[in-house]
Amino acid sequence: MNMSQEFIRARSRVVQLVRRYFDEQSFLELHTPRLVGLPGQEPYLEPMWTEIVEDVTRSTYQAALITSPEYAMKRMLAAGFDKIYDLGPCFRNAEPWDGSHDPEFLMAEWYEKGIGLSELMDRTEAMVKYVVRNMEHGALRLDDNAFRRITVEQAMKEYAGVELGPLLGDKEKMASVCREHGQTVSETDSWDDLFFKIFLSEVELKLGEVPTFLTHYPASMAALAQKDPNDTRYALRTELYIGALELANGFVELTDVEEQRKRFEEEQELRRSLGKETWSIDERFMGVLPKMGQAAGIAFGVDRLAMLLSGTSSISDLMPIPVRERF
Amino acid sequence: MASTSEIKKGVVIRDPQGLWVVNEFQHINPGKGAAFVRTRIKNLQSGKTLETTFKTSETIDLVEVEHRRMQYLYHDATGHTFMDQSTYDQVTMSDADVGTDGKYLREGMDINVTTYEGQPIALELPRKMTFKVTESMDATGGNTVSGGNMTKEVTVEGGIKVHVPLFIKQGEDIIINTENGEYVERA
Repeated sequence: MNMSQEFIRARSRVVQLVRRYFDEQSFLELHTPRLVGLPGQEPYLEPMWTEIVEDVTRSTYQAALITSPEYAMKRMLAAGFDKIYDLGPCFRNAEPWDGSHDPEFLMAEWYEKGIGLSELMDRTEAMVKYVVRNMEHGALRLDDNAFRRITVEQAMKEYAGVELGPLLGDKEKMASVCREHGQTVSETDSWDDLFFKIFLSEVELKLGEVPTFLTHYPASMAALAQKDPNDTRYALRTELYIGALELANGFVELTDVEEQRKRFEEEQELRRSLGKETWSIDERFMGVLPKMGQAAGIAFGVDRLAMLLSGTSSISDLMPIPVRERF
Repeated sequence: MASTSEIKKGVVIRDPQGLWVVNEFQHINPGKGAAFVRTRIKNLQSGKTLETTFKTSETIDLVEVEHRRMQYLYHDATGHTFMDQSTYDQVTMSDADVGTDGKYLREGMDINVTTYEGQPIALELPRKMTFKVTESMDATGGNTVSGGNMTKEVTVEGGIKVHVPLFIKQGEDIIINTENGEYVERA
């Protein structure tokens, strides 16, 4: 059997094992729509747009492929489901075809009611360990140790020697720390941009040496996460790093409608300032948010786990037809 | 001024601290923030290296450099010596300036050398090079790596050590990515 077949088989096996884990844990697999009217509007993700025609009335609808199934999954939580997962392709435009991205990739996203950040990480770790343990000839081996959990504040201190607390929200101070660390600082840099210059240069590459959850992002990077009630400068958000790859991004989900609207409006504003297209807030989603209840969920890159397990550094190796052979 | 999309190995950036040659670069799209280019740069005057990250929308001041086709001649105490194939001029780069690229050099090979004001500042190695595995232990227990890939270390021509999947055997040709020193695939 040649290498490319081994990689493709490994990917299928990973998908099978992820599904088996959630099925055994009594999660319901939902097949939420890939094509929606109003996709996620994260400022740095680009949906792919198309137009749908209904033949009888010749009505046309603007439509996009999802960048993640998040809104639909949350509507299902509001509809009364409490342990759900979705495993299918997601689509993101304007990303580099650099080995760690493909415009169409497999994502598992799951939600559980009544849990917090710690239980969300427990679940994620259990799933990864289950897949690794059951994968024949997998290139990734894990010992029995628990995955490391470290806050963004601790990681910045440990790897970059930067005390984050006093810098939060203070662009001038952050800019001067950036200059001390040899980074360029330009007028248009936001606080988040300055943070990322140091984080990406000095922290991120070292995180995954052992599997690590990075938690408690600055509140300005909360996205759809709740702020930490014990320290509102930070958000209840976690990302999992293994090797050089970021595998997952999860939140204790925001349920406060007013706060959610404010964040959506800020995201739209940021998109406009970056010269990007904006679209309406999904009012059907907003309408059911109060019924969602306390829940946590995470988006997990299944292809990236398959890369680790098959020992390749390129997502293209896993694809039956790699991106550069499709377009 | 130039766009960050022009950042690649061997380009020279000018900033208030002087001239910096890019030794390594990687485009990153974290999704959660803007897109960036992560680089490792080296100051041409002080020799200091720095890891620095540019936002892709930033503009940078790129300095004009020359790319000259040369032949690699030999290595000695002064460093690595190359000969310009059109002028027959010889230039020498110190071991420190050649850095980790030095291990991929084979006497007699043709290579593009980036020069600035006549001085060599960077090598442009082929991104993928083929090497024969000269030493490899058979896969046994004890290769387990916590949190990493299951690999073993082999030695290839030139004494380069590289981590490869367990199925690679002695005598096989493998392709190495010279940008990161990692195994790519069987040749």
